[in-house]
Amino acid sequence: MSLKPSPKLHPVGWDLLVVIAVVILAVSVGIGLLGTSESGPLTAVISADGQPEERVVLSSLTEPEERVLHSGGYTLHLVLSADGVEMTTSDCPTQECVHTGKITRSGQSIVCLPARVIVTLEGGAPASGPDVVIG
Amino acid sequence: MKLTTRELTLCAVLTAMALALSYLESFFPLSLAIPIPGIKLGLANIVTLFALYALGPGQALMILLARCLLGAVFAGNMSALIFSVLGGVTAMVVMILLSRCGRLSIYGVSVGGAAAHSCGQVAAAVLTLGNTAPIYYLPVLLGVSLFTGALTGLIAACLFRALAHTALMKG
Repeated sequence: MSLKPSPKLHPVGWDLLVVIAVVILAVSVGIGLLGTSESGPLTAVISADGQPEERVVLSSLTEPEERVLHSGGYTLHLVLSADGVEMTTSDCPTQECVHTGKITRSGQSIVCLPARVIVTLEGGAPASGPDVVIG
Repeated sequence: MKLTTRELTLCAVLTAMALALSYLESFFPLSLAIPIPGIKLGLANIVTLFALYALGPGQALMILLARCLLGAVFAGNMSALIFSVLGGVTAMVVMILLSRCGRLSIYGVSVGGAAAHSCGQVAAAVLTLGNTAPIYYLPVLLGVSLFTGALTGLIAACLFRALAHTALMKG
């Protein structure tokens, strides 16, 4: 058996084109997602196991509220509060949903692939005032 | 595709190595540093890259599909199969096309494959969940793929250098 000759083993200038293409794709998708943020109060959209979505207006919550989600054979504990959402515990094997931590901004999401659970934040348009005042 | 006994044996050994690398990287999950579903170093891609250049696209695809299937069976998680197959096949197609153009080094091909893998996995997540929310992770996954792709390209390049004077590469 004769194996094929080895490839170029040192980076070449043409490799930069691949890097630039990946960066352009990432930035394009990022810009596209920024444009999809909706107006209105900050709302958590919860979808579990393909079931219809539940929408919770977070700004209407006076104190943190816990939800227990049973989906895909797993049990997940979700804490909703006025400023965001956090998956506190889950018995899924990857634990990526728990490691995501608290999400607080529109467009952010917590995804648990094994349990097929998605929690997405919508709305919560920033106030019209400046973010930071310097000088 | 007709394989000699030696080629078939090499494909089997490479499949076992890819499975071992997938298992190995589960001990240091990248998701602890960057909590995004599906994010990983992609060490098994070293084997795919090696097989693509050393054996050819057909054998590389065979090794990839065997690794995905056996990985899902051993993990007892058949639902993960669509993610690994869609991500792996997308990466493979892109790496075949990039390697055919002949101008790129193994680094460029590896980075392109890693980025394509991210796109394939996000597509699998969108299809499985019936929700477009996973696209939110794509920019970060693509950014990380620049580093993971360069890393797997570097290791594959070291592998080719180490094997350059062995009987395996000389035939």
